[in-house]
Amino acid sequence: MIDPITIEVTRHKLEGIANEMQSTLLRSSFSPIVKEGLDASAGLFTADGQTLAQACAIPIHLATLIPVLRKIIETFPPDRMHPGDTFLLNDPYTGGTHLPDIAIVQPIIHRGVLIAFSAAMTHHQDMGGMSAGSVPTNATEIYQEGLRLPPLKFRDAGTINETLVAIIRQNVRIPDTVMGDINAQVAACSIGARRLSELADRHGHNALTAIFAELLDRSETMTRKALARIPAGTYRYTDFLDNDGIDLDRPIRIEVAVTIGPNGIHIDFTGTSPQVRGPLNCVPSGSLAAACFAIRALTDPAIPTNAGCFRPISLHLPVGSLVNPQEPAPVNARTSTIKRITGAIIGAVAQAIPGRVPAASAGEMALVAFGGRHPRGGAFVTGDLIASGSGASAISDGVDVIETDATNCMNLPAEAIEMETPIRLNRVALRPDSGGPGTHRGGLGTIREYEVLVDDVTFTHRGERHFSAARGMAGGGDGARAHSAIHRRDGSIETIPSKTVTRLMRGDRIVLQTAGGAGYGDPADRDPAATAADIADGKISPP
Amino acid sequence: MGFEIGVDIGGTFTDVVCRADDGSVRIAKLPTTRNDPSRAVLAALEMAKRDWGVEPTAIHRFVHGTTVATNAVLERRGARIGLITTEGFRDVLEIGRQMRHQMYDLVLQPETPVFLAPGRYRKEVRERIDAQGAVLVPLDETTVRQAVMDLTSAGVQAIAVCLLFSFLDPTHERRIRSIIAETHPALPVSLSSDVDPAFREYERTCVTAFDAYIKPVVADYLANMEHGLHTAGLSVPLQVMQSRGGLMSSAVARQRPVRLFLSGPAAGVIGGLEAGRAAGFADLITVDIGGTSCDIALIGNGAPLIRSEGVIDGYTVRVPMVDVTAIGAGGGSLAWLDGAGSLRVGPHSAGSEPGPACYGRGGPDPTVTDASVVLGYIDPQHFAGGTLQLQPNLARTAIATVAGPLGMTVEQTALGIHRVLNAQMAEAIRLVSIGRGIDPRGFALLPLGGGGPMHACALADELGITAIVVPAHPGVLSAAGLLGASVEHEVSAAFPRPLASLQPDHLDAALQDLDERATALMLAEGTAATDIRHFADVCYIGQSYHLEVPLDSHDPTMIYAAFLAAHDQVYGHSTDVPAKLVNLRSVHRAAGGPVAAGATTPSHGAPPTTRSIHLVSGSTPAAIWQRDAITVDTRIPGPAIIEQADTTVLVEPGWTARRTKGDALLLERTP
Repeated sequence: MIDPITIEVTRHKLEGIANEMQSTLLRSSFSPIVKEGLDASAGLFTADGQTLAQACAIPIHLATLIPVLRKIIETFPPDRMHPGDTFLLNDPYTGGTHLPDIAIVQPIIHRGVLIAFSAAMTHHQDMGGMSAGSVPTNATEIYQEGLRLPPLKFRDAGTINETLVAIIRQNVRIPDTVMGDINAQVAACSIGARRLSELADRHGHNALTAIFAELLDRSETMTRKALARIPAGTYRYTDFLDNDGIDLDRPIRIEVAVTIGPNGIHIDFTGTSPQVRGPLNCVPSGSLAAACFAIRALTDPAIPTNAGCFRPISLHLPVGSLVNPQEPAPVNARTSTIKRITGAIIGAVAQAIPGRVPAASAGEMALVAFGGRHPRGGAFVTGDLIASGSGASAISDGVDVIETDATNCMNLPAEAIEMETPIRLNRVALRPDSGGPGTHRGGLGTIREYEVLVDDVTFTHRGERHFSAARGMAGGGDGARAHSAIHRRDGSIETIPSKTVTRLMRGDRIVLQTAGGAGYGDPADRDPAATAADIADGKISPP
Repeated sequence: MGFEIGVDIGGTFTDVVCRADDGSVRIAKLPTTRNDPSRAVLAALEMAKRDWGVEPTAIHRFVHGTTVATNAVLERRGARIGLITTEGFRDVLEIGRQMRHQMYDLVLQPETPVFLAPGRYRKEVRERIDAQGAVLVPLDETTVRQAVMDLTSAGVQAIAVCLLFSFLDPTHERRIRSIIAETHPALPVSLSSDVDPAFREYERTCVTAFDAYIKPVVADYLANMEHGLHTAGLSVPLQVMQSRGGLMSSAVARQRPVRLFLSGPAAGVIGGLEAGRAAGFADLITVDIGGTSCDIALIGNGAPLIRSEGVIDGYTVRVPMVDVTAIGAGGGSLAWLDGAGSLRVGPHSAGSEPGPACYGRGGPDPTVTDASVVLGYIDPQHFAGGTLQLQPNLARTAIATVAGPLGMTVEQTALGIHRVLNAQMAEAIRLVSIGRGIDPRGFALLPLGGGGPMHACALADELGITAIVVPAHPGVLSAAGLLGASVEHEVSAAFPRPLASLQPDHLDAALQDLDERATALMLAEGTAATDIRHFADVCYIGQSYHLEVPLDSHDPTMIYAAFLAAHDQVYGHSTDVPAKLVNLRSVHRAAGGPVAAGATTPSHGAPPTTRSIHLVSGSTPAAIWQRDAITVDTRIPGPAIIEQADTTVLVEPGWTARRTKGDALLLERTP
């Protein structure tokens, strides 16, 4: 019997170690996507690969390391691991997510016994392939997306695998940055290994691993108790992605049947679209991340997050579907898919617990990217991620222009864009009348107008919610759909069908309008004072 | 003999520190009068006259730490303001950066301070300055007059103006101010090019709107306070503490009210810095453990870490502030059992009402303070100098409610509550330190607040820290810090250009301009700088986060080297790719008086008593010392308790306490 205080004290130390690993990872990384986008995470795992403690700034990372650990343990038998070994992989078809995400894993061996793993995942700025940044919206095969790394040994008992380093350096556009970020991952893992070994020195590794088991069991107990408060049954939800960027006229269906029962939560994706030609396919860890987010959001936030929380989850992912694609389907844009899956799972469970869950958020994180030659010399590339409206709830209006569900990114200041690139913003505004009507109104989308100031700019637009709206709840109306158009200098207007890669000339303008969140409750029941305030503040048009 | 007075107004207590010209110090705590804080100040002056014989006319300096700015925001008592923006950008204040703070909440809350200026109070004017500072669209004054008329007829009490790229060319903003003055000369106006001339339009708009929002409240408050001081017979100017940790006169504070955010915590850190310096430590981690929270700050090389933005009521506001990190752990933190029966501590707190169970005010739930009573660390008869009689039986009963299900004794559970809290705080301190590139092991720990010194040994052991400094008056350190602080003014300006093409004479000219403005501010205080420092915000080209680098030289090569060194310290690496300047900053300082904590309270030599306390190592008799009985020759090995009116020091086994010449207690690992 382990003293219950020591268990709780150890839990705080494990979370502290995960935070210290994450802090090291963010601090010592080179690339802006890590430093500003916080697109990286680190954590500790048990010797059999279960999440013990993880620090992550973006929910999408919650589950991404789980299949990695499984694959590493399967490929490299633990009884032959040595202190100073470090493993690496990025291939989505052998445990990864998409190619820019490289996982680094270190075994923690205490007095000859494997007691745990430390691991870190970073979104790297470039992994080679057909376009800079390695997220081509027009890829039709994973081979176009960049360098694939199966499970490999990056360090053997402390000795770096120089062959592997040479291969990586030769295949990426910015080798120094990529290797700098990989080294930051290794540093984070080493800190985790050092501090966990100190804990093992203090408690003995047998007692420590017994504490690990107890901590996971406790989180599982609490999660199951919280799930048991949701009425048992099967709840369904269907939603759509606009298209895959290749076949522009074909919406992509996402269907979930969520069963809450004595065994926990089972999510069946039968009915979901077959895998698509474009890069919106999502390997299984993506659906697991969506399910983990849903579990965290639907149960008690005070439950310590570890593998115990995820044990009640089971998934059925039909082979060859969007959520279980087969090689060599491209996968780089799977973030949009994970966001829509998350919304679908939450939307299904909402039927079981009316009143607790808001109406659908637009769940659109539009991406625009501009690249070309700067008039003062040199190339420029810039990308902007733009949020949409959140769903209204039983108690409040949705929030205007806010990141929801599996992602949490910042937009770029107009002043930052204009100082760095030959692009001008003419407008950054709320999008009136875009929130779904209701007793509580859905959050508004946003309008952004970009004007390019030079010729020959390559422009990428990856939208969502152009062809399907966020669905209202309890009598509330749907949110407005997104709409984007290119206003050419000659006055012609081209509507963007959600996704495009095209060329812009000086004076061309992009007018982007993101979608609104859905409304909640009958609009007739809305407080007239709230309507009057919305009119006065310009959020809705006068009747 | 002359006197200096420092008054720090907190939520519950108003702390008063009085320093005579001979260096002797007196302290007092009075209840805060919330609806008119100046009444507590006047009561303090009366008490000083009555009890200490301090005549108002003998007071030659009066320094004040205030929560007025922060409270105006927390209580939404600011002015109704209008916001004027560049055409097309009216909604920037409401859109913000679109990130959410609570990742797993389904029902989201707005992340931006829309309450400052809802849509109907935001107006656009036709004008545009480009990223090079050139006028693209001249200011259309008709649209300005229309906006001003709309806003004033809607009844706004102040106007904030934030135009794009005004940090490169403030002409349009200044012209708008003149136009407002034509029709409304008394209406307060805040220009973003004055308040925060730096890039990123949301952050600049936000801080400018906050400035306008609190300006009338702060002006009224300061006028009221000055009037009160004048009535009481004081004829010295009022000085107030800024969020950066320097003082400014009330006259200047009215012009830059946003600089008063978190004035109190800043004073506390300055107090800690002075107390640490007096004990011979320049590298300190201050840990202020109060009832509901634990505030952590770092002092490196004798200066507090400053960050370029802080958090007010959950909103990030770009005002330079002493870098204080708060976590939800304190004496009032509740101990509870979660769904799996584990003992948890915090983040919820019993607060001061009803407070811990042992306060006897009906709070049924066990707290950290209840654990401290059960463990024998706190003497129920002498808590808070005997002002509050604690009830140990209530503490035991409350802790028994969690001890039972845990299958542990009340004492074991109480120890457990301390261990869990200490683990949380130690991890937080470690994270704050390493996040700023600092190894805590080389630092001394300076525990503050009523609870700090009780947890200091446990925290130091966890962190590998070998020295603990307990100041003479840890409960009134903020007020003491006021007397030790310097008068300080900081002026900054955007200066965007690659380091490679920097011409030193341009840099000289820009800094000279900043110095002239800072000198004018110092002159307005009736003082002159004894210390002038220049800084530049520098970043790698292509990255948007930057680091502050001291400008010891104007040679681009030297600036670059200093940047690489700073980058290496904070981020653990640096690389020799091109960098650029972002902002320039000039800080003018006029040193404060000698250390406030340098009091010599007489020792009365009362011998220590003994009482049984519970430690992780078991139950043991501990020597109980009164702080004022300790002389510089006394050595107190742990286990021991040192009691004083405003705190309790727990000296754990393995540590020895002694009194320094500066009247602090120094706890060191026993060799």
